[in-house]
Amino acid sequence: MDYLEEMAKYQKTEKEKEFGSDFLKTQEVEDYEFWDEIEIGKETETEVPIKFEVKAEDMMAYAEGVPDDNPLFYDEEYAKKCGHDGLVAHPLFGTQVLFFVLRKGHGSWLRTPGSRNPGQVMEWYDPIRVGDVLSLKQRGYDKWIKRGKYYMRYLAEVYDQNGTLKCRLFTTLILPKTRADVLRFVKGEHALEA
Amino acid sequence: MGYLEEMAKYQKTEKQKSFSADFLEAEQVEDYEFWDEIEIGKETEVPIKFEVKAEDMIAYAEGVPDNSPLFYDEEYAKKCGHDGLVAHPLFGTQVAFYVLRKGHGSWLRTPGARNPGQVIEWYDPIRVGDVLTIKQKGYDKWIKRGKYYMRYLQETYDQNGTLKGRAYGTLILPRTREDVLKFVKGEHALEA
Amino acid sequence: MADRLTFDSVDCGDVLPEVKQENTQELTWKHAVASLDYNPVHTHPEWCKTAQVFGLPVPVMHGNQTMSLMCKVITDWAYPVGGRMKRIEIKLIKPVPVGSTCTYGGAVTEKHPLGKGEDFVTVEVWAKNQDGEQVGIGTAQVRLPK
Repeated sequence: MDYLEEMAKYQKTEKEKEFGSDFLKTQEVEDYEFWDEIEIGKETETEVPIKFEVKAEDMMAYAEGVPDDNPLFYDEEYAKKCGHDGLVAHPLFGTQVLFFVLRKGHGSWLRTPGSRNPGQVMEWYDPIRVGDVLSLKQRGYDKWIKRGKYYMRYLAEVYDQNGTLKCRLFTTLILPKTRADVLRFVKGEHALEA
Repeated sequence: MGYLEEMAKYQKTEKQKSFSADFLEAEQVEDYEFWDEIEIGKETEVPIKFEVKAEDMIAYAEGVPDNSPLFYDEEYAKKCGHDGLVAHPLFGTQVAFYVLRKGHGSWLRTPGARNPGQVIEWYDPIRVGDVLTIKQKGYDKWIKRGKYYMRYLQETYDQNGTLKGRAYGTLILPRTREDVLKFVKGEHALEA
Repeated sequence: MADRLTFDSVDCGDVLPEVKQENTQELTWKHAVASLDYNPVHTHPEWCKTAQVFGLPVPVMHGNQTMSLMCKVITDWAYPVGGRMKRIEIKLIKPVPVGSTCTYGGAVTEKHPLGKGEDFVTVEVWAKNQDGEQVGIGTAQVRLPK
């Protein structure tokens, strides 16, 4: 059984089943934005067209995949007894939201084959709740070259259906520099250093 | 000669001469805001303005000391691509001490205060003729290794409302009025 | 070199010329006058004997004077070609008693090619005392002309 089939066994939620798990399709890479093309600045802010309607199964599936078996993430009554106003989303649940909505163009950096995660900054403002319809605004914040590697940072803000800011993520990535480098990674070659 | 007289020798600018150099007057400490009273999130605009003269900018550079002609010679600064006399990057220190004399914001002049490092962002050059206003708010306060920290966010604007700089000032402070008054008397009163 | 310094001419690893400054009580008094920071911890030797804010019975340099001299490394290097400070974050690691002689330096660690006049480099800056101990470290973002 190949790796995609291995993972398909664990896809339980509607979103998990619908989402394309093959990040190595050359065709979808064509729609990415590459490091050398990334534009930085307030004016690059875009609202991602795909929304994320939060279901309990989404939140639970993330906690299961951590794995974190704390009942806060699975048992609404228990969570309320603990002083929360409903089922609790794992702090990093936003990861699922980002990957779900960021599929191409400005913002596809996090799914680029060859990208590396050097550490992140996140700020939480309001709990994500079952029933929320989340939208994502984001913009290129900075890009730089350090020790021969190509970094970028974008600011992603998650809002709910009422326009309430849920969280803010300053996401930093080390990326392949060009389309050609990404296409080399798609073929399984290393192409990260300058 | 007392330490105040020693320093009086170097006071040249109008502002330096009008400013009171004695930070140990018990009376003025009464108007300070102490660590245990600091309200976080409250923003105030400091009533005193700072009208920038060339002598102010030059005096700061002299006190660094930094003798780069950029800070003294307008023509040279223009040749280097600046649009006039350059203010030393930390000139805002003088501005902050000049305008923050009591109440919310007086933390930086508190006897016993320590400077554990700062974050400063520059947005637009400070120029001769600018009239500067400071807005600030308590941003955070915390206890770490038995010491009382606070951080404030301070923004400097010119007469056109242009943001000139933003500083996240962090200080280690005596906790209470009583502790500050001990420092005024020359006693150590910093740790919990 | 200075007159040809541009964003493109800079490389990660470039080392900036160091600044060395001997400090005295007189210079600290002058800095108090310049900055209007007359806090007795810098200016009042008698008071320091007992108040010992830093556990030392002597005045210490202003932290902002140390920071000013760390900035001098940048301004000496970048301002003669129209460069500009963008941001600095400095951690002051240990107090510097009046009478110390410190050295200040920096090296370019990052290049940020943002375009639209927003290009900047990151310089790691440092300050060391006469015993070679770090008294301050920081990161400066510096705009450089194209």
